[in-house]
Amino acid sequence: MNPLPTAWHKIAAVLLFLILWEVVPRTGLVDPLFIPPLSGVLDALIELYRSGDLLMHARLSLARAYVGLAAAVVIGLPLGLLLGGWFPRIQTATEPLMELFAQANPVILAHIIIFFLGIGEVAKTFIIGWLCIWPITFSTITGIRTVDSSLLKAARSLGLGRGQLFVRVILPSAAPSIFTGLRLAAGYAFIMLVASEMMGGSNGLGWLIVQSQENYNITRIFAGAAVLTAMAVVTDALLKLLERRLVVWDVDVNEDYLKLKTASGEGP
Amino acid sequence: MSTATDTSKIEIKGINRIFPTRNRGKGDGPREFVALKDVNLKVSKGEFVAIVGPSGCGKSTLLDILAGLAKPTSGDILIDGKKITGPALDRGIVLQGYALFPWRTVRQNVEFGLEIKKTPKAERKEISNRFISLVGLDGFADHFPHELSGGMKQRVAIARALAYDPEVLLMDEPFAAVDAQTRETMQDELLRIWEETGKTIVFVTHSIEEAVFLADRVVVLGTNPGSVKDVLDIDLPRPRHNSDIRSSAEFGWVRHKVWELLQNREVKAEGPHGYGPSVAEAISSSAEL
Amino acid sequence: MNTKRAGLQHFLLRWSGVAAFLLLWEMGPRLGWVDGYFLPPFSTIVVEIFNLFADAYLSVHILVSVWRALVGLLIAVLIGIPFGILLGRVYPRTAEALSPILRILSQVNPFSLLPVFVLFFGIGETAKLAVVAWVSVWPVLFYTMTGTRTVDPVQEKSAASMGISPGELIMKVILPAALPTIFVGIRIGATITFYILIAAEMLGASAGLGFLVHNAAMNYQIPRIYAGATFIVIFGYLLNRALIFIGNLLFAWQENSSTTVTANATVTTPSWRPGRLSAVAAGIALLAIVLFGGIEVDKVNKEAASTDPGAHSRHFGTPVDSGSGN
Repeated sequence: MNPLPTAWHKIAAVLLFLILWEVVPRTGLVDPLFIPPLSGVLDALIELYRSGDLLMHARLSLARAYVGLAAAVVIGLPLGLLLGGWFPRIQTATEPLMELFAQANPVILAHIIIFFLGIGEVAKTFIIGWLCIWPITFSTITGIRTVDSSLLKAARSLGLGRGQLFVRVILPSAAPSIFTGLRLAAGYAFIMLVASEMMGGSNGLGWLIVQSQENYNITRIFAGAAVLTAMAVVTDALLKLLERRLVVWDVDVNEDYLKLKTASGEGP
Repeated sequence: MSTATDTSKIEIKGINRIFPTRNRGKGDGPREFVALKDVNLKVSKGEFVAIVGPSGCGKSTLLDILAGLAKPTSGDILIDGKKITGPALDRGIVLQGYALFPWRTVRQNVEFGLEIKKTPKAERKEISNRFISLVGLDGFADHFPHELSGGMKQRVAIARALAYDPEVLLMDEPFAAVDAQTRETMQDELLRIWEETGKTIVFVTHSIEEAVFLADRVVVLGTNPGSVKDVLDIDLPRPRHNSDIRSSAEFGWVRHKVWELLQNREVKAEGPHGYGPSVAEAISSSAEL
Repeated sequence: MNTKRAGLQHFLLRWSGVAAFLLLWEMGPRLGWVDGYFLPPFSTIVVEIFNLFADAYLSVHILVSVWRALVGLLIAVLIGIPFGILLGRVYPRTAEALSPILRILSQVNPFSLLPVFVLFFGIGETAKLAVVAWVSVWPVLFYTMTGTRTVDPVQEKSAASMGISPGELIMKVILPAALPTIFVGIRIGATITFYILIAAEMLGASAGLGFLVHNAAMNYQIPRIYAGATFIVIFGYLLNRALIFIGNLLFAWQENSSTTVTANATVTTPSWRPGRLSAVAAGIALLAIVLFGGIEVDKVNKEAASTDPGAHSRHFGTPVDSGSGN
């Protein structure tokens, strides 16, 4: 029950996983052509790093994912706040429409998006941003809607004005839900990033993976996938850290998956 | 019954329960918390015994030990002269939070213990009908718990505990969650059921009034460490249900006596250890299953 | 009467947004606000959807996509639930130690796995099923772990007091109690799966809804792209709604889900509840879809391979018209 042993257990489990990754392909239990050993993937990573390709592609991909996510936040958060907080009737009127929009897979629309926006960065940002907006908007609306009404009453009885009420009570209460949506959106951003890079263009980790597939360079696929996974994991960890900083009162920060329940009710 | 030498149904012999506590900070406070200290008690067959005490006196822990859900640090529980080793169907338990299975209908809840006992289906149905009827829930057999009120849920819990025919019924503050009026009705009902079935009942409560109204004997537990402060015989006439016995002078006197006993103990509980009842409560409620 | 009217008003208000959007979609191209070639009016799309149905190809593509999603999901459920119970209840310490690995693996991008699966299993069904299963196994696993961990301790305590065996405890108490949470995981898995599947079908398939759209795009059949995309949106929406509906039906016993009756209230006959019979019927239906769907998908794949080996860019069974469109 002490925190230290569990931390060691976790480290040991990760090490064991890495060792298995190295040993199992080497012994031929799985075909190393399909799952190359860890050292092979590391070699590919180092080689990519030395040539400068890795940093170039990773930087571009990361920028795309973050720009898409940022665009989604800039649009989705105010949209959620406005609809959830001020215009409940408009929210009712637009709810099914937004649910349908959230179902609209930007990958399917890629061809159409390319008709309108070309194959460049705008199209990629749009594809990523489109999918990320909805979890943010929905979870913001949910967060605002589920603010404890007795809390509102208490705050109002203290003579808080509308603006004060919003900044001091509603926003902090909705914050955990908003963060759940944000983290969901961040996950989607990386999924869509790869999809958008696979659809067209000539750089980025998604492109690198497709290229490697065409050249049957499996270690490179794994290297690209590993870097992408690392970026997604680090982004998620950063958001979690930010959440812990901002939302100190929410005890169950660890039970992410239970909290997803509320946000994903309407999400794609 | 098998051991004819002793008439007691339950015998609690020198029960101690000690929880190790984490030593916070640099203070050299006690490393352990004594929840129960040398508890001894005998309960006769068919007797109704109530255990009262302030929160944190270990009364729920004692009941858990009786149910076989927790192990005492030392001491034994004998039922019919035989030492218990764990939970079994010779004891039924009714808990404060109803503990019904919400995905099962009233009937399926009542039949739960019988399923574990591997009773044949036809017999199960016959038994569940009988006990649903006994607790006054005819016509609700196919309802789900969420469709029932708090009092009705507790009736289901009682029927479920009785259905597999245990000889002892252990009840842990079963009526604590229902409103005052329902509570009195449920107490009347419980006495009626007790008289009809002749079970031995150990009933834990923090309400003095409830204990005095229901029981043949009231066991008063004190806190820190939890130990038997006194045992009072309640000589109020029976049957007590559907009577106005609560407002009689005699009832009031007995009630006062128990109250004084508890007060006495409470003062001492503010002792040098500095363990508030909340700490004790937290420990006893987190006791392992 | 009044509540009926209020309900109608609410309904109209709710769907007014969709109506306004569709109106805009219709008027925009007609009034020349946007290029009608790139964005045909909505009515054209509706006609195209009917055309697709009439051609009978749409139903084949639906079947193929649904079959893939369903089988992949079944695999995920068959893996996710037992492992979720094992990690959630039987070996919680192992689960704790494994949590970083599970978290990292769940973040592995399905699209970056697609090439690996394709290399591993070839371009056939297995690669797609593997992607679908990979995507949906995580929510099923995590929700099962959470669900089995958060069973009300009082329920467990009362079951334990009857001397229940560990196996029975899992089957009779923990699993039923966790089922609503597990179902949320399955629903999330299903919606994400559908999403990824359509995308995967666009990247390489010879049938399926994603392929339909991709093929239309390759042939510059713009109304057909919109028709396919619109149909997929509606289908996805209905799928999500249907799953929510099924969840509500199955788990109507949850505490906050309906009003309570009091002891003196008249005994109402319970409304229809899913019983053993409907469970068996659902199971048989599921099995039938998996079996006959599998046969059909196999047929479709073989046909596609025989008529058009090598390339996967031609619409299954349609007259060859790719040359004319540009």
